[in-house]
Amino acid sequence: MQIDLISTLAIYITSFALLLIGYAVALSSKDLVRLLISLELMFGAVFMSVLPLFSSISNTAFGITIVGVFTSSCELLVLITAIIMFDRKNKNIYTSSVTIGGDR
Amino acid sequence: MYVILWFANQPHRKKPKAFYSDIQNILPMSVEILLLIALASVAVLSSLAVLFNKDNFYSALFMSVTLITVATVYALFGIQPVFVLIAFVFAGAIGIVTVALAATYRTAPESQVSALWGIPVIITASFLAFFSYVCVKRQAILHPQLATGTIQFELQNFLANPEYILLVLSLSSLGILLMLSALKIVGGPAE
Repeated sequence: MQIDLISTLAIYITSFALLLIGYAVALSSKDLVRLLISLELMFGAVFMSVLPLFSSISNTAFGITIVGVFTSSCELLVLITAIIMFDRKNKNIYTSSVTIGGDR
Repeated sequence: MYVILWFANQPHRKKPKAFYSDIQNILPMSVEILLLIALASVAVLSSLAVLFNKDNFYSALFMSVTLITVATVYALFGIQPVFVLIAFVFAGAIGIVTVALAATYRTAPESQVSALWGIPVIITASFLAFFSYVCVKRQAILHPQLATGTIQFELQNFLANPEYILLVLSLSSLGILLMLSALKIVGGPAE
């Protein structure tokens, strides 16, 4: 399938929309699990925006995608570990507790 | 809209044979674009379901649907390795862990959407819609059949380069080290 302007436009609009919704979920989240979900949505938007690169520099684009997949999965793994540690320490996973802890 | 504008801008003096040939050229492309738009719509709708759903468990499920749809767009363009990567790593491994976490920490459903954040979202979406409309209209009138590139990705070409193999090995080592550290932290004594 060729990438023309219409498909590029559809890809970028979807990517921006996903990123925007990811930001909205992150900013309005009240617990850490929803924050994790919003991060994954944002990474989905990033992967969507890499797609048009495959038409000009396909090998480099695939390398960028692999780096993105590895680093984002490691980041999410660290966040999952942090959520578990946070629950052990505070007995809840509310983001309001994070704010109070940071203020101290 | 693309097809309608294309037909509207065709000169009427064109011979019937050339006209039908043009139709045959454009119809397969428009079907693919329609499929792409359908996939993009599913992705946006499922991410909106993530935003408006009160229960984290269902939000995690909709998030997995969004990521699988993003991966399917890659498959539509013939880049199957990225589809496998996203489907296995994000929708598979991390998606399942997220769903499990959401099920473990499941509480009484409570709305987590702030109405105030809707204002910047609506403003940005309006800008996007306006500029995309202008861009599509201009493109459909001036250059209806302009293609910017063809995707010709081959995994064999990628694997033939030793630098990329080194990159994959380094990132795999980083991932294993991080997983071991995470296991050590989580498996340690509770405070």
